[in-house]
Amino acid sequence: MSSDDELAERLRAGDEKALRTAYERHGAAVLYLAQRLLGNRADAEDVTQVTFVAAWTGRDGYDPQRGTLLSWLLGIARRKVVDRLRSAARDDRATETVRTQLAPSDDRETPERIVDRLVVADELGRLPEEQRRTLELAFYDDLTHPQISAVTGLPLGTVKSHIRRGMASLRRRWEVDGAAFGSRSAGPSRAL
Amino acid sequence: MQHLDPDRLVLLALSEEQEELTESDHLAQCAGCRRDLDEFREVAGLGAECQDVHDLPPPPERLWRAIESDIGRTRVREAPVTDLAERRIHRKPSRRWAPLIAAAAAAVLAIAGTVTIDRVLDGRRTETVTARATLSPLPTVSADARGSVRVLADGEMEIDVSNLPLTTGFHEVWLLDPDDPTKMVALGNLSDRPRVVLPVPPGTDLNRFRLVDVSDEPHDGNATHSGNSLLRGTLTS
Repeated sequence: MSSDDELAERLRAGDEKALRTAYERHGAAVLYLAQRLLGNRADAEDVTQVTFVAAWTGRDGYDPQRGTLLSWLLGIARRKVVDRLRSAARDDRATETVRTQLAPSDDRETPERIVDRLVVADELGRLPEEQRRTLELAFYDDLTHPQISAVTGLPLGTVKSHIRRGMASLRRRWEVDGAAFGSRSAGPSRAL
Repeated sequence: MQHLDPDRLVLLALSEEQEELTESDHLAQCAGCRRDLDEFREVAGLGAECQDVHDLPPPPERLWRAIESDIGRTRVREAPVTDLAERRIHRKPSRRWAPLIAAAAAAVLAIAGTVTIDRVLDGRRTETVTARATLSPLPTVSADARGSVRVLADGEMEIDVSNLPLTTGFHEVWLLDPDDPTKMVALGNLSDRPRVVLPVPPGTDLNRFRLVDVSDEPHDGNATHSGNSLLRGTLTS
């Protein structure tokens, strides 16, 4: 798997195959974010389309030093969602629509939360296989360290270190990409 | 001050074990450990939510095709804008050469006239030319590639090309609106022949769609312009 740096370089050089790779890697996450925010599949697909086209035309603006490709793409998608809701509101002459559509039914479902979840999931997928499997047993199946050790046959000490290292990686990535998203890159879409 | 051990923080964050009294005391005083624990808790919470997104279905392939086709259109826009901008820059100072150009045009017409007469002598039908264009290679194409276009009164367009780069696809002829190059009319393909006659769709406004474009199209089933233009020239009457 080529790194974000390499992909960014190929993108900047105008290599369309790099965009295709980015789409294969992150298209599903972009579509998921759009669908969660818009609540409508057709609009979400439109937003995904304009997001990747904007990523292509604005490819010079991506700097791997400032975040991963995924968070950059999700940032574009979020702005496109806002644009779409605003223009829908203009069309309806009812700003109320935006407020209703944006009001998260559940506190966890803020755009930040969805982005954080996608970023952490992406990082989880990049962890070494055994580390990832161990964390999934802890997260999804709510197993304790000794239970994970029993299920996997790994020594307890190994389970411990997998979980500690895995958690540290997730936290680092979340701080760089997730938190950056909410606080550091606070643009107009922060109000969303 | 004894900070909390990272293994211990993780266990607490995963709610696998409860804080002991001494740990609670320490957390109450130590902002660093408190922040570590809070962040690990947040990550553990997000980790649990990952189950919803860890195996998202890939977006439909047609979505990618739509993206690809939009990108093709932006490429078309990118190419002519610079190309035309240069032309505009060059056109202005050359106005004082207008009489010379007119004379040259007259000479061309004279030659064209000769050709027409030759054709009549050949026993071929007489053709009235309503517009013509000289096609020049784009900067990415070898400099000896060229072409010429004649629009005939009966609505057909005759196009001659030479030294086009080889293609694994085919060469397609388009009429573009230079003021908005995303708007275009597809005329047909060159079928590997140096000279073809293509019908111009009736009602096509040649004042608007006056930029003739020959592109290299891959066999990808995508009917839109590939963005890979080879030759271009503007129709003049």
